[in-house]
Order: sequence, then C-alpha cells, then structure tokens
Amino acid sequence: MATIRCDALTKRYGAVTAVDALDLTIAHGEFMVLLGPSGCGKTTTLNMIAGLEEISDGRLLFDEADVTWQPPHKREVAMVFQSYALYPNKTVFENIAFPLRLRGVPREQIDRAVRQAADQLEIAHLLERRPHQLSGGQRQRVALGRAIVRKPSVFLMDEPLSNLDATLRLSMRSLIKRLHHGLGATFVYVTHDQAEAMTLADRIAVMRGGLIQQLDTPDGIYARPANLFVASFLGSPQINLVEGAVEDGGVFARGAFRLPLPAGLGAPGRQVILGLRPEDVGPPGEGLATLHARVELVSPLGSETHLEVRATGEVPLTLRVPKEWRAREGDLIEVGVAPERLHLFDRASEARIA
Amino acid sequence: MSRWFGYDQRSAAILVFPVVAVLLAVAAFPILYSFWISLHDIVLTRPLRRPFVWFENYGRVFEDPRFWVAVWRTTVYTVVTVVVTTILAVLVALLLNETFPGQRVLSALLLLPWATPSVVNGLMWKWIYDPNYGLLNGLLLQAGLIERYRVWLGDPDLTLLLVANAATWKQMPLAALLLIVTMKAIPDDLYRAAKVDGATVFQRFVHITLPALRPGLMLVLVYETMLSIRHFDLFLIMTQGGPDDATFVMSWLVYVETFRSLRFGTGAAMAYILAMATFLLSWAFIRFLGKRL
Amino acid sequence: MALRSGPPLAPRIGRGLLLALFSALFVLYVAGPVGWLVSSSLQTEAQITAVPPNWLPPDPTFANFEAIFTAADREVTYETRRQGDPATGGFLPSGAANLLPSLWNSLTVGLWVAVLNLLLSLTAAYAIAVIDFRGRRSVLYTVLATRVIPDIALVVPLFLVVRNLGLINSLGALVVTYLAVTVPFTIFILISYFEGIPRDLYRAARIDGCGHWGALRHVYLPLSLPALVASLTFAFLTSWNEFVFALVLTQNVAAQTLPIVISGFIMDFTTSFSFVNAAGVIAIVPPVLMAIVFQRYIVSGLTAGAVKG
Repeated sequence: MATIRCDALTKRYGAVTAVDALDLTIAHGEFMVLLGPSGCGKTTTLNMIAGLEEISDGRLLFDEADVTWQPPHKREVAMVFQSYALYPNKTVFENIAFPLRLRGVPREQIDRAVRQAADQLEIAHLLERRPHQLSGGQRQRVALGRAIVRKPSVFLMDEPLSNLDATLRLSMRSLIKRLHHGLGATFVYVTHDQAEAMTLADRIAVMRGGLIQQLDTPDGIYARPANLFVASFLGSPQINLVEGAVEDGGVFARGAFRLPLPAGLGAPGRQVILGLRPEDVGPPGEGLATLHARVELVSPLGSETHLEVRATGEVPLTLRVPKEWRAREGDLIEVGVAPERLHLFDRASEARIA
Repeated sequence: MSRWFGYDQRSAAILVFPVVAVLLAVAAFPILYSFWISLHDIVLTRPLRRPFVWFENYGRVFEDPRFWVAVWRTTVYTVVTVVVTTILAVLVALLLNETFPGQRVLSALLLLPWATPSVVNGLMWKWIYDPNYGLLNGLLLQAGLIERYRVWLGDPDLTLLLVANAATWKQMPLAALLLIVTMKAIPDDLYRAAKVDGATVFQRFVHITLPALRPGLMLVLVYETMLSIRHFDLFLIMTQGGPDDATFVMSWLVYVETFRSLRFGTGAAMAYILAMATFLLSWAFIRFLGKRL
Repeated sequence: MALRSGPPLAPRIGRGLLLALFSALFVLYVAGPVGWLVSSSLQTEAQITAVPPNWLPPDPTFANFEAIFTAADREVTYETRRQGDPATGGFLPSGAANLLPSLWNSLTVGLWVAVLNLLLSLTAAYAIAVIDFRGRRSVLYTVLATRVIPDIALVVPLFLVVRNLGLINSLGALVVTYLAVTVPFTIFILISYFEGIPRDLYRAARIDGCGHWGALRHVYLPLSLPALVASLTFAFLTSWNEFVFALVLTQNVAAQTLPIVISGFIMDFTTSFSFVNAAGVIAIVPPVLMAIVFQRYIVSGLTAGAVKG
C-alpha cells in the first residue's frame, strides 16, 4: 500500500513561498501528474515527497504514517531525473545494481534482478558500458532500470522526458505508461508538457505560484477548467479568449460579436471572458449558434487545418477544422458553435462561471 | 525539535565538529588569549608581576616611534611587492595563455617558485646578493654595469626592494595561475570579432583582456596584500630588520618586542594591531570588490 | 588571443620571435635562481668563491651532499670545523649533524598533516557544500576568518598554551597547528570543487539509499580526484615550508624541522657556502617533485571553482 498525503505542505525560501499549504492525497497505484509552468512549485513538491527538500510547514504522510522528518534514504521511493543522474564512474550494470547493493542483497539475487530489469527495458546489451557511451534515450532507460529494480511502491519522476527529442519522447511515454500498468505502483510525475500530462495521468494537479489551481481527471480539467489559467494551459492551440459582458437574454456580447450562452449562465451586466476551444466548431446547423468570420491565415497541418480568422467585430480566433475544408485567405465562412461547449470566466477573479 | 535534531543537522554536526574543534583550539582560543595578554603588563624578565593595565600597552605602542617606522616600511614593502607581483603575473599569464610548442613545459616550471620553501628562498637570494661571491655582483660586473662588487644587503636604500624581489619571485606563480584560468574563460569569439573590426594586438589587450581580467585582478590584489603585510620569514633570514632599520617591518617589530625584548604585553598589543589592520583591510577590500563586480 | 589562421607570414615570424624571447626571459627568471642554487651545490668551496663566479660547475661533485649525509658521523668541534674537509674546504656549520634528522621530522610532520588534513576537510567541505544545515554560513565564515589573523599574532599565545601543556618540542603540537593553518584553504578548494558536481547525482544517491556517508563515498569522493590531490599537495607543501610556528614551538634539535635547521646555517657567519646551498637543494627537492608530478591535478583542482567563485 502506498498512499501519499500532503497536509498543508509548505516550502519557504526566506521570504519566498515556493509551495503554499498544499493539500493533496494520492491514492495507491494512482498516476498523479503535477503540471504547471516553471517556477510553479511542482518540482519542489516532488522533492519534498522524496525527502530531498526540508518541509517548512505542514505534514507529509505515507500510508498515514508521518514521514515529514524521515531522511530520503529511509523512504522507500524511487526517482527518475530529467538529467538521468547516472553515476559516471560506474557501468550500467553497477548503476542499476547500486540500490540493491546498498541494501545488502546477495550477489546472485542482484544479478538476476538487474538482468530482468535490463531485459524489460531492452538495454541488456549495454550492461558493461559506461553512461558517457550511451545516447539520451538509453541513459533514461538505465535510470528507469535503476528505479524499477527495487520494486518500489512509489515512483517519482521529474520531467524525465524533457531532454529527449520528439519521437523518442513519444515512445518513452508509452513505455512509462506500460510500466505503470505492469508495476501497479503509485506514480508521481512532474512535467510542464500538457500532452504528457493528458496521456499519462489518472489525475492531474495543475499548479501555479505554489498553489493547486485544479485537481481532476484529464477529461475534467480539459472540459471544465476551473479558471482562465487552467483553460489556457491545456489545449493546443490555446483556447480562444474573448473579453466581453453578459447581456439580457443570456447572450455574450463584445461589440458586434455575439454568442448565445447556455440557459441560466451569468447575470446580465457581468464582466466576463468567453472561452472557445479551437476544435469546438463545426458546420452550421440545428441548435448551433452561427459565427461569421473572415479567414486571415490558413495553416494546413496535413491531419487537420488551422485557420486564423476574424469574426464579427474584429474578434480574432483560431479554429481547428478537418483537412477536407477548403478555405482560402479572404474567404468569408460560417461555423457553428454549440453553446454548451462555451466556457465562461469571471473577468475579475478569472474563475469559471459554469 | 526535529528541525534541530533531524538527520541532516546531526550529520552536519558530526562532519564539521573535528574541523571546528581544531580551529577553535589553535586559532580562536589563541586569538582571544592574545588579546587578554595585551591587556597586561607582562615582561618575561620579571615573570611574577603581571599587572592588569587595560589599554596602556596599546597607548605605549602608538607612542613608540619604532611603530610608525614599521608602519611606513610595511606600507612601502607591501605596495612594491603587490604591484610588481601583479604586473609580472599578468605578463606571465599572457605568455602562458598562448599556444606554442613547449608551453606545457613552461607551465610546469611556473610552479617552481611556489614550491620553494621561504627559508630556501631567502637563502637563495641572500647567496645571489652575496657581497663577495654573489651572482648579482658577478653578472653586473661582467656586464660592465658596476665597477666593483657591492654589498647589496647593506645598502639601506635598496634592501627593502631586494627583499621585495625575493618575495615577488615566490608569490608570482599563484597569481599568474589565477589569471591564466580567468583568461581561459574569455571566449575566443570576442578576439575574432575585434580582429575583423581591425583592432591591433594592443587594442585587443586593453579592450577585451583587461576588462575580463578585472575580477581575477581584484582577487590577486587582495590576496597578495594580505600575504605581503605579514611576511616574516624572509626578513629573519635575509636582513633581520636592518640595515639601519631599512627593513624594519611590522612583523619584525612584533618579533623583536616579543622574543628579544621579552615584553609580551606590548608585543601582543602590536600583534593585535597588525591583526586588526589586516582584518579591516581585507574587509574594506571585499566591500570594494563586492561593489565593483 | 590565439592566432590560428595562416598568412601573412611576417607577423607570424614576429610572433614566434616574441614568444621565444619572452619564453627565454621567463625560464631565466623562474628557473635561474634555482639553477644557480643547484650549480653552487655541485661546486667545491674553492670554486664557489671564485670571482667572477662559475656559472656552471667546472667539475661537478657530490661532495657537499656527502658531507651532509655523513655529518652525523663526524664530531664537529672548533678544531675540526676549521679544518673542514677537502671538498667543502671550509667550515661545516655546528648544526650540520641535525640536517638529516630534521629532514625526517619535516617528512613525518608533512605526511601526517597531509593525511589528517584531507580527513578533516573532506568531511567538513561535504557538509558545508552539500547539506543545508542551520549555522552553515557561520561555520564557513568562521573557518575562512581564522586565516585573516597573521601567524605572528597567533605565535605568542600558542607558544604559551603549548608550553603550559608541556607539549613544546612535540611533533604532535606542530601537526595540529599546521592542520589549523592549512584546513581553511583546503576546505575552500574542496567546496568549490564539490559545487561543480551535479546536484542530481547527490539526489539520486540519497534516493537509492545512501545516507550522507554514502553520498560522500560514492558520489563526491570518486569525482573529486584533482581537488584531493591539490589539497594533499598543498597541505604537505605548507607544512614542509612552514617556519614561524616551528621556530617557536620546537626548541631542541631533536624536534626541529628542516627550515629551522637551515636557517640556523645561514645565520652562522662562518659557514661553508657550498654546504649550505646543498642543504637548500635537499630542502627544495620534495616539494618541487610533488609540484611537478601533480601539476595537472593541482591546477584543475585549485581552479575548478575559482572562475565562477
């Protein structure tokens, strides 16, 4: 069993608060992703869970036991680093075997465990090499090997894929996902890449300025972002945001630009920001609001096309449309939008209204 | 509680304890004890009477004309040594920063003076300056620069400079080493761009090398000053404060007062004044450095 | 300022000439005085006292060194001093027999200081560089601040303390004193070097199961070889060369170190010059050997943090 509970976890560096009274419970076997821009406190939180940073305030509990003051070498966690952190003077075999050696595991057992891990990660042919002779992807596999060889109940990962090139990143991503299924351990994963977060996580904690902005499943975070920041952070291309106000009759208005809102959303006169995801548009139709826009830029991606348009009232929008849509610069188009797909945020607090 | 007795605190305490213990015993305690002594009138020729005299010793020191002579000598000596050492170090650093065949060998030779014990350094130069058989006399005579052998270390005007020369010889390598490392960090691109812009060798030196060397130079200046103020070995070996007090520096004064006149009280006061002066100077230097960097 | 491109030729020849000239001057300045010392030690007293001096020994002889190594077997009295022996042709210093024993003393003290220094400063430097503990800054500043006090200020009180403890003439007192003198600098070297070692390696080791001892042993120690060598060399050299504390803390000949004995020769007015030069050469050989052999490590160990620091 390995549940992790952060109880008002706080980290202060002098006058700066890097992590502010964080409350987070991670269930056993869950894949939790801490997502956010650099400086948001996600790595600091991870380090506190690992025991690498001293906790300024609050408590940390593993299976309801207080480990706030337990030094890292006593906590049974494994960790993988962005820089791989392989011991340069040891061979791959010795790197992977190291944690077992420290625990006094007998030699034959170490041998078996290391080879098993190496086979699983397809690096068995590299066991006698040294880290400087390996590629980035290979090094990361060795780092993973060192982590899994202990069969830990908690895996911590600090942006492990950020130093890899794009194609490698994708294959490593699925490797990590498969590892999670195979090992059934609790994973805590830190990243700034929202695609990684969406594909890997059971739940995502979006962080900013030392605080959790939203804690939810990937779907929940994507479909119902709690505030402007979360809505902008997830989704590529970024969500379209339009400042305006709610008018009588439940309509969003900004100058000539108008869209009907779902019933009961927002009191009239309220200053709001409308959110529209680029992919939430389609052909005009029944029950859909209609947007009129002039195409300014066409960016075909092959699998889809991005259009930068100016809707009524000179409102700039980015839209994602299927590749079959033939639009050219200067065309006037009409797209349909389902009001339920619209997001509304209070302009002052940036919090979600519906 | 855990904040003070956690694993990290305990480990650090154990790891740091031996060093702190040794330093407390050998450095901190004597410093305090020395101050205590300086507040008493202790003369070893009458060891049983050691009245507590507050700061009288310090007063006596400041009124002692030898003190001011020593201050002046020390200042001159320090300035000469530091300036010459730094200039030489820059020249040597420039030389050894170039790539040419044999550069490695020369760099190895650089450590020769640094490795030489100060006693041997003093011996070596005293022999070179020897009035009857020394190398300096022989060289200058053969070059026709002097007519007959001179007693170099007996000339009050020259002796301080001669000792400074010996000191410079030994101290220059470490300064040069520091500057070489600083130089190696200067990106080649700066020089290439300057060459394309038409800068001469001298201009490249003035506009690129010197500014980049600033922090290194500051460090060298501070370090050399700290060392030169305290020099003692060379003076004991080569001149013993003479001739005619020409090399009567502060550390020599302390030595004479303590170990020859056996006046421990005033000797300690002098030592303490020297220590305070060094401390204040280094503190001032660091503040100055901190603003400039 | 590395000029690597090709033509024009004239400036290249000019550069070569300049380099050759300055190199020659450099070698003369750095190695000249030592060379003269060595040359003098290989001459007889008669040759040494020639005017003008013999730049190179006309007939190199090891007689002076022989005199040093056999001095213990000789009884040096006023009479025998005057006669000296054919090689030295002059006067043996009355303390000649002490040279070899003092050599051993210096060697012993130097080795003890080097080893103990490393033990002390390794642990302290690790703690200061790696562990974020309360009081860290104060400890570091205190350690460095002890070197601001000039040795002469410490000599008198140290002498009194050592005398009261009855430890005058004990090599142990010298060792402990030299430790205090050398530790601040070696700690500084090691801390600078440790800070250049990637922090993630430390983190990985702690996660893998290393406590602080383990991290020191498996991560910092193996990766710090140049700094370790630099520290050992520095500690040995400093204690080999040290003069003032040895002068004050050792009074009888059995405990004296090499610099003290040699200084005794120099201040003895009627000493044979060639003998003294030979003694100087002996004193210079170990440190110079160490410096040359470990030169690469010394440089990289000393300067790892210097540029950033």
